[in-house]
Amino acid sequence: MPRKYAPLIAALLTIALAPGVMAQDAYVVGLSGALTGPQAGTYAPIMESVKLYVDQLNRRGGVNARPVHLVVQDNQGEPSKAAADAKKFISQDNVILIISASVSSTYAPMAAEAKRGGIPLVYTMVCPTAVFPPKPDELQFCTGPSSGNHDGPMGVQFIKEQSRDPVRLGVVAMAIPLSRGVADSAEETAKSLGMTVVDKQIIPPPTPDYTPYASKLKSAEPNWVYATAPWVTEVKTVEALRKLGWNGKYLAIALAPTEDDMVRLKDGELYAVSANAFFHDDLPVHKEIRDAAGKANLAYPVTHLADGWIAGMVLEQALKNTSWPPTAEKVLAAMNGLKVDTKGLRGKPIEWTKTNHFRTEQYYRFYRWDSAKQSIVPAKENWATVDVK
Amino acid sequence: MQLAVNIVVLAAIYALISCGYVLIYRVSRVLNLAHGELMLVGAYLLYSTASLLGGNPLTAVAMAAVLGLLVGVLVYVLLMRRMTGEMVLAAVLCTIALGVMLRGATVLIWSAQVRHPMEALGWSNPSLVLFGDARISLISAILIGATAVVYAALFGFLGFTRWGIRMRAAGQNPLLASQRGIQLHGVYALAWGLSTFTAGLAGMLISLDSSLDGTMTMIGLKAFPAALVGGLDSLAGALIGSAIIAIAEVLLIQFVNPLLSDVVPFFVLLAVLVIRPWGLFGSKEELDRV
Repeated sequence: MPRKYAPLIAALLTIALAPGVMAQDAYVVGLSGALTGPQAGTYAPIMESVKLYVDQLNRRGGVNARPVHLVVQDNQGEPSKAAADAKKFISQDNVILIISASVSSTYAPMAAEAKRGGIPLVYTMVCPTAVFPPKPDELQFCTGPSSGNHDGPMGVQFIKEQSRDPVRLGVVAMAIPLSRGVADSAEETAKSLGMTVVDKQIIPPPTPDYTPYASKLKSAEPNWVYATAPWVTEVKTVEALRKLGWNGKYLAIALAPTEDDMVRLKDGELYAVSANAFFHDDLPVHKEIRDAAGKANLAYPVTHLADGWIAGMVLEQALKNTSWPPTAEKVLAAMNGLKVDTKGLRGKPIEWTKTNHFRTEQYYRFYRWDSAKQSIVPAKENWATVDVK
Repeated sequence: MQLAVNIVVLAAIYALISCGYVLIYRVSRVLNLAHGELMLVGAYLLYSTASLLGGNPLTAVAMAAVLGLLVGVLVYVLLMRRMTGEMVLAAVLCTIALGVMLRGATVLIWSAQVRHPMEALGWSNPSLVLFGDARISLISAILIGATAVVYAALFGFLGFTRWGIRMRAAGQNPLLASQRGIQLHGVYALAWGLSTFTAGLAGMLISLDSSLDGTMTMIGLKAFPAALVGGLDSLAGALIGSAIIAIAEVLLIQFVNPLLSDVVPFFVLLAVLVIRPWGLFGSKEELDRV
């Protein structure tokens, strides 16, 4: 080989080996999520926010004076790709922790790979039953806002508190397991609270026109509707109901785009129940996120970044409690005794113990659009709380 | 009455989408499985032009429509033209690859965030009260009108214009048409352009009525059974097929179980294919060629 190519080859080798060399001195964490694919609107902002948080963290000097090296993979919300990502994280990247920002169908294959490699796995959106007390899976944890066990009853309880008249409740869900589960628990709670459940619409994903479902719902004459589905389904259903002239109250589980859509719709009878504080609360942590997002070139609005930011806070704390050199066992031990102050993004700190990988209390905040103030306002002054047992 | 309005709106949506499948198939025997993605591109083009020209909404809509047509022509010139003379299966696979590429490209360019072209245009979508207290959104009413105009124009174009007759000739016997001096590439490019134009129009109107996100591609796929039920080479069949699917879907939602609405198009499709594999109005010999 001619000598003149030697510097070029040396340079290429340096570039090729650089991440590995860097990774040896860093906490290496895998992040797999639906960066593209049909559900990317929900999950890509979480990934973007985790990356943003880690970038900030590294700029501040990292954790325990070591950088955090985030290996990012796009699983497009496909179970097979998620499993391949987890396998790669474990066998090639030597990660000490995996973060998932993807649809629930990717959980089982990722968890299986994580178990094989003995690597802890953190979910950032929907929390599966495997993280709940009293016997959570030893490797699975969740920072996500949704709780299939508590969302439905809490929403219906709020409706009961708000109503002076007898409640005729309509329920909206999407034809996916978690959404249907929450709808079922909401229906049961509603009946136990003396409400009349007049209709339950389980809407299939991508639907060209929501009016037929809204027509059926409207014909049952509900005065309240409780919606628990991906936001697109929740918001398109309420828009279809309004086009049909329905004037009742509509409570939806809030997801990333909810805040922006409430401002867009300006609907005085639209309520949202959220596990995160809205950016309209304008807490110091919201300013912090705004400032960080302002300096980065992000594809998503700042209102979509809370869940990823919380995952970043948890990651930082877990790594802080992991001594050098880090191993998956050390991270796991740190995560089993973790308490993270979310600075008001959630109602209370996220606390994990050996018997609870979700949190000890689940908090909800209720919001509505105030037509007089032309702004989102809390529909209830304080956070509503429920013990997680 | 509301039930009838719902059926007409859904039938119009399916009909507007499925005519694009029919146009391409009729002329070139290619099943365009990227049709949903081309719908998505059309809707994003409207979002972009609306964002750029918010003060001139009509110009934005017209520009997006023209760009949609151009995208179709470009797809043919840059990609499908190279499939001429190859197996039909290769061309179909090529459209699948095109769909994957377009899905990725839209996320890269516009991100996966839900968009609202109506807001960008500065328009609103009021509800119109019809007789019998039935209601319809303004955009849904426009969509029904647009579907009627598109079908009338396509029937007129294919039946009475020189290029339309050339298109039919190329579809029936490309070799003979070519020997009679018809520029096949021009005809095919025009078919792709028109098909993408109608797909884009459907995408624009659906996104104006609700919102725009990546799941629109699956709506494109839901209209595919309508084209197959009617017969893939029949425009009238696409209309009838869309009406049948819409009636079945809306009635099931109203009277049986909303969950069934997702499977009923494919159930109807299976039932029709068992009885008449070439579709209600399709040509038998066309199916044999496939």
